[in-house]
Amino acid sequence: MNKVLGLALGIIAAIGGFVDIGDLVFNVAAGATFGYQLLWVIVVGLMGIIVYSEMCGRVAAVSGRAVFDAIRERVGFKGAVVALVSSEVVNLMTLAAELGGVAIALQLLSGLPYRWLIVFAVVAFAVVIWVTAFEWIERIFGFGGLCMLVFAVVAVKLGPDWGKVGAGFVPHIAHTNRMLYAYFVVGILGTAMTPYEVYFYSSGGIEDQWSPKDLGLNRANAILGYGLGGTLSFALMITGGALFLSHGISPQHLGTVALAAEQPLGQLGLLLALVGILFAVGAASIDTVFAGAYNLAQFCGWEWGRYRHPRGAPRFALTWLVLLVLALGILMTGVDPVALTEYAVLFSVVALPLTYVPILLVANDKAYMGRYVNGRIANGFGLLYLVVIGIVALAAIPLMILTNVGQN
Amino acid sequence: MRTLSSFLRREVVTESGRSLGRCFDLRGELSATTLRVTGLCIGRRALLEHLGIRAQKPQAIIPWEAIVRIEGKRIIVRDDAPAP
Amino acid sequence: MSGNEIDIGLHVLDHQLLDKDGRRCGNVDDLAIEGGVGEVPEVVAILCGPGYWGQRAGWIGKLASRIGGGRKVTVPWSEVRKVDSAVELKRGATEIGLGRGDDGLRPYVDKIPGAGR
Repeated sequence: MNKVLGLALGIIAAIGGFVDIGDLVFNVAAGATFGYQLLWVIVVGLMGIIVYSEMCGRVAAVSGRAVFDAIRERVGFKGAVVALVSSEVVNLMTLAAELGGVAIALQLLSGLPYRWLIVFAVVAFAVVIWVTAFEWIERIFGFGGLCMLVFAVVAVKLGPDWGKVGAGFVPHIAHTNRMLYAYFVVGILGTAMTPYEVYFYSSGGIEDQWSPKDLGLNRANAILGYGLGGTLSFALMITGGALFLSHGISPQHLGTVALAAEQPLGQLGLLLALVGILFAVGAASIDTVFAGAYNLAQFCGWEWGRYRHPRGAPRFALTWLVLLVLALGILMTGVDPVALTEYAVLFSVVALPLTYVPILLVANDKAYMGRYVNGRIANGFGLLYLVVIGIVALAAIPLMILTNVGQN
Repeated sequence: MRTLSSFLRREVVTESGRSLGRCFDLRGELSATTLRVTGLCIGRRALLEHLGIRAQKPQAIIPWEAIVRIEGKRIIVRDDAPAP
Repeated sequence: MSGNEIDIGLHVLDHQLLDKDGRRCGNVDDLAIEGGVGEVPEVVAILCGPGYWGQRAGWIGKLASRIGGGRKVTVPWSEVRKVDSAVELKRGATEIGLGRGDDGLRPYVDKIPGAGR
């Protein structure tokens, strides 16, 4: 019974926490630009993160190793340093983007100045993470993030052409503007398969002391959590397509995204959307800052853990504090969080193979995994996504340049 | 005293100059109290082995006794050392 | 591979060090081997600390070593209890000289309320 409850809470937290600022930016913009034509890409991305997370979770449960432990043990020291630096840089960019999103949501809700709210948000997070037990953080942000479900209601209420929506789930290439279409393919895949989620998920599995008997739980978590959470991405794209495309609106601002909820649902819709964005992006900020701390701690061999109170893992605690401060510094330069998000997602795509390949290797190693080694299905998908990730990683920067970061 | 890392990626050559590949790991024997080094693991380029992809190929091990001397960048082994 | 035969680089190098209480106290950054040509060589110690990163990865390693503080700790192999997915040690981290980074930082962390729960 407790396991079912735990699973249910985990899934709720996953739904509420699934959407981050990358999903908000790319899925709505894709809808606003190409209508429903890119829905199939979300499916590809969702399957990718499910396969990847299940593998990482299995590695954690069976071998007791988190992603970065596996990287350091497999790729050699030089490769591990490169992987560490690149993942920390990308993580920090992502963290700044998420915190910026939180500040924007607070600004839209309160009317207070953005710059003050950045400082407030960072300080508030620092205090909350330091003092609060993680189980409570997860519950509060997870439930708050459930407000994002308003977008599912919005998507339906806008009365989209469901035939066209269905057609969007079939993989196809656009007829016009192929370069921009490719850019969005890369961006949507990137935001579905963000590395910080995997670092966080695998380290979390070790903290929850998963063992081989939790493999079913791992699988359910991965499939249901990401699967259900992913429907919110569909909702965002459909909303963008139904509302913004016809009006030629390009959502450069999170406020525009939230206003999409006001159209069919009035002030209540707008409020729910803003609260949902606040908590979902907030949850993402916490996951991202922990991911950054996990990686450094695992590389160096320090004690680590989000459940551990700071005195149990001092250097780990100092790391996430420093990351928050650095993110604050980045945001105080006045950089636009939406623009920063696009860069963060694209750079994380480029770095994706560095974490994905070691996991695939370890998941195949009998010495680590015993009889829980990748079966044919896992390896089939694993190799398929290796190719997908490889192509996307190579294409990301050129497309970013050629489309002028999606501005065309 | 040598470090394990100093062995890795060193070229392994026979006395007569034939290159056998690169050392990508050391084979050892673990007991309750000791860890003895018993041989060198050799591979052609050793990149895949370095990443841990070793399962399929039969292990190419050169026993420690076959080592003649260890130079700056190379390990010299006897000509009659079992070749991979 | 038979019973206690292992590939040292794969199974020991870069793995986590755990003390007798299961506390994480570093990674195996390198290993000291004694006994050369013509003798029976043995791994005599685990080398742990950023100071040992320089010899692992050229200039990248040296830079990382400097940023990391350059500390070096030698753990005699006799301290090893078991080699599993992590290398488990017989005594506590502090007794062996590991985990000093965390121990050094802890008094400052303790000064901030809420750190101990």
